[in-house]
Amino acid sequence: MKQSFWKFFFLIWLVCISNASHALEVIEILGGKASQIPVAVIPFKDNNAQKSMQLMHEVITNDLNRSGLFSSIDISGVSDYPIDEREVNFSNWAALQSQFIVVGKIDAIGRSNSQMQVTWSLIDIYKEKTVLSVAIKGQPSQYRVIAHRIADTIYEKLTGSKGVFDTNIAFVKKLGKEKYSLFIADYDGHNPRAIVNSRYSIISPRWSPNGKKIAYVSFEKKKPVIYVQDIETGKRTLLANFRGNNSAPAWSPDSKKLAIVLTYSANSQIYTIDADGKNIKQLMRTRSINTEPAWSPNGKEIYFSSDRAGSAQIYKVDVDTNEVVRVTFEGNNNVSPSLSPDGKLLLFLNQDNGSYRVAIQNLLSNQMLKLTNGPDDESPIFSPNGHMVLFTYKDYGKVSKIGTVSINGLKMTPIDVGSETILESTWGPLSD
Amino acid sequence: MKNSLLLASLLAILAAGCSTTDINDSMGLNAPFPELESSTGDGSEVDLIGSSQGKELNQSALDELAAAAELADRSVYFDYDSFAIKSDFEGVISNHATFINKHDAAVVVYGNADYRGSHEYNLALGQKRAVAVKQALEALGVNGSAIETISFGEEHANQTCTGSTCGQDRRADIGYVGE
Amino acid sequence: MRLPWLENNDNLQANLFTLVIHLALFIFMIFSVNWQVKTPYYAEVELWDAIPTQIKPKPLIKRATPKVQKPQPSIAEKIVEAKKDADIQLKKKKAAELKKKKAAELKKKKAAELKKKKAAELKKKKAAELKKIEQLKKKALEEEKLAELQKRLLEDEEVEKVQKKLLEQDDLERLQEELRNKDLAKETRIAIEGTQDLVAGTNSGELEKYKALIQQKIYQNVNKQLCGLDPLELIFEIVLMPTGDLIGGAKMIKSSKIESCDQAVERAILQAQPLPMPQDNRLFSQLKKLKLKFQPNGPIN
Repeated sequence: MKQSFWKFFFLIWLVCISNASHALEVIEILGGKASQIPVAVIPFKDNNAQKSMQLMHEVITNDLNRSGLFSSIDISGVSDYPIDEREVNFSNWAALQSQFIVVGKIDAIGRSNSQMQVTWSLIDIYKEKTVLSVAIKGQPSQYRVIAHRIADTIYEKLTGSKGVFDTNIAFVKKLGKEKYSLFIADYDGHNPRAIVNSRYSIISPRWSPNGKKIAYVSFEKKKPVIYVQDIETGKRTLLANFRGNNSAPAWSPDSKKLAIVLTYSANSQIYTIDADGKNIKQLMRTRSINTEPAWSPNGKEIYFSSDRAGSAQIYKVDVDTNEVVRVTFEGNNNVSPSLSPDGKLLLFLNQDNGSYRVAIQNLLSNQMLKLTNGPDDESPIFSPNGHMVLFTYKDYGKVSKIGTVSINGLKMTPIDVGSETILESTWGPLSD
Repeated sequence: MKNSLLLASLLAILAAGCSTTDINDSMGLNAPFPELESSTGDGSEVDLIGSSQGKELNQSALDELAAAAELADRSVYFDYDSFAIKSDFEGVISNHATFINKHDAAVVVYGNADYRGSHEYNLALGQKRAVAVKQALEALGVNGSAIETISFGEEHANQTCTGSTCGQDRRADIGYVGE
Repeated sequence: MRLPWLENNDNLQANLFTLVIHLALFIFMIFSVNWQVKTPYYAEVELWDAIPTQIKPKPLIKRATPKVQKPQPSIAEKIVEAKKDADIQLKKKKAAELKKKKAAELKKKKAAELKKKKAAELKKKKAAELKKIEQLKKKALEEEKLAELQKRLLEDEEVEKVQKKLLEQDDLERLQEELRNKDLAKETRIAIEGTQDLVAGTNSGELEKYKALIQQKIYQNVNKQLCGLDPLELIFEIVLMPTGDLIGGAKMIKSSKIESCDQAVERAILQAQPLPMPQDNRLFSQLKKLKLKFQPNGPIN
């Protein structure tokens, strides 16, 4: 009887599994798209605030759009401006294809209402709930900074990366025949102020990673020499004036050293030097050109351009072992290397058919992506979060302008700094 | 009395407007900047290699230089993507070599490039042209340590040149210390 | 009838009992009974009252789609197919016979004519020429007749073809109606389903199609820029309504360890509502609960 019992049990089990619900159907979704998150930034409700504060939503919208990761919803047809979740009609916003909205209000606070408090929220339309709710204070005159910081907070929440909308750029303008100035401005070109004026050319401005100093090449001594200038005090020191050329300053990641290019009386070669000008050391010596050094973020490698293979290409050298490896192979020549903050992407200029354009290369897969079309694009540099590239380009009148392009290639936006021609530009670090 | 009161209150308002804010501003908005035209040494000037071995031209040498028709031409032009001295310019180089050797002159060769490409790489290209002329002079017996090379890259170039007109910027110029 | 071996065997009772149980269970295996009381999320509709109107799926953007298997015909369909074949064979036979008949008739006529001709020739020489002419005329007539016959044959065939088609449709519809109405057919269907459950879905073609549609729709929304550059995997489970809307959101089973990536993929799923769902009840039940596996930066090696 025992044997029968187990047979019985076995058959019951068979029946059960045959009659049981099936295993879940699995659907595999491989890959994805480079798309933009639609966000609507609603004008903040102005309770007794100044007119300038009313422009904050525009600054936020422009910031998010420029990054290439967001698209703005046209709210011209929208009449109700909610200030928080309770006032939001979710189905309306879903119908407009908006995934998130940014709402808020501005109140005057403090003694004699001289300060402003902005209370804003980031709201998820699909989940119908508030993602973030923040209050921030400041002077009305600082509405741009406040807006940039709001944009930074939104950016960080939705992408996981720090926003760069409250950072600075520096650029050299040629204002006249013998008039050059190095400017510092908000990353979007607002608020420019000159920190160096000269009758001669200034090139290669480079911010130290700690944000305190800026190095640049000046031709005021009738030859290129390198200065390091303290941004806060304006005081500067002459870092390098060796025989021949002194150029291409590149800060080490810890801001303690720079890689520079000297010629003496031979072709351009790469050296390293302490930030106080001591301890000059030659990195390599070949018969070819070696220039444009750029440190990897971990400080172990220096990327540079060289014509040792016949045409200008980009190589990297191990700082300890001095081993040199070629990195670029496409197009006619490749120059001006720099690395993304995570060290995974190489940014450079790629020349093809006589056109210079901005390109990035994935250092793991070696896949190259052209970000711009040229023909005279130059001076490419990553934003501090590696999501955008600042570069110069020539307009139809052959006047050089500056602009940003998102690294997904989706969004190119000019930066308006006036009509004079730009020589070179660079991006400052995140302020800690 | 009234005026000073007015002035005082105006100043007070201005001062109030400049009060510190909640936003930490560390970019030095009002930092002073230097005017460079008249700046000389900052005390930290470094020149490790030492000065040129040649001699600065004296007045009679300068006069001779100005008078000599064959020395008026200072420029050697290069083809695109080439650093070879073309035969057209061998004369220029040999004429100057003669003059240099005669006066033991200190020479500076200035290299240039056209505007296309990055500023820094063009500095290196201009330098390569200067070095080519220097080596050509050395081949004619000039003491290498008397020749300094400087590159201006594209900083003196025509930023709107097209095609063949850009050839003007691909050149090296011979200069003399003292002129 | 005496069965001594039955009476003499002590264990037999037990063995018989076992056998009966085995048989019963075996039958249960084939004809399983759904003893679970399922509360449906939607109102039960008496199926097969009317042919459901199919919503035409949106045209897909051309991408590499997974291979869709050719649907295997069910037993019911096979019966219909067989019947159809038989009918076609029959009709073919009839047409062939008709053809034969007419061809035979023609032959007979021809033979008769020839005989007449010979007699006439032998009898009259004068009338030879006339007869010749007559013969020629007759020939021409015959040829005309032949052509006509052939024409008519063709026409007949055409008509037969059309008739065949109409008849086939009639048969099909009749069969479908029978299937719809008869209880017997229902039981057969259940029986067939039962075997299908064991044999793992002969309707896999349709299932794969809907899986591909769902995959496409969600893929369009996956913003992989928020997932960095390194290979990673996310797994979500969802429960769906027949409308294609999710019940209770998307449940994350495996995280990418990157918050913005998790949220972007979750958004992609939510945004894809309503997901394309089949009208077929049974097919829907297979798609009601889904496991979604994402590898936004490419396959993990």
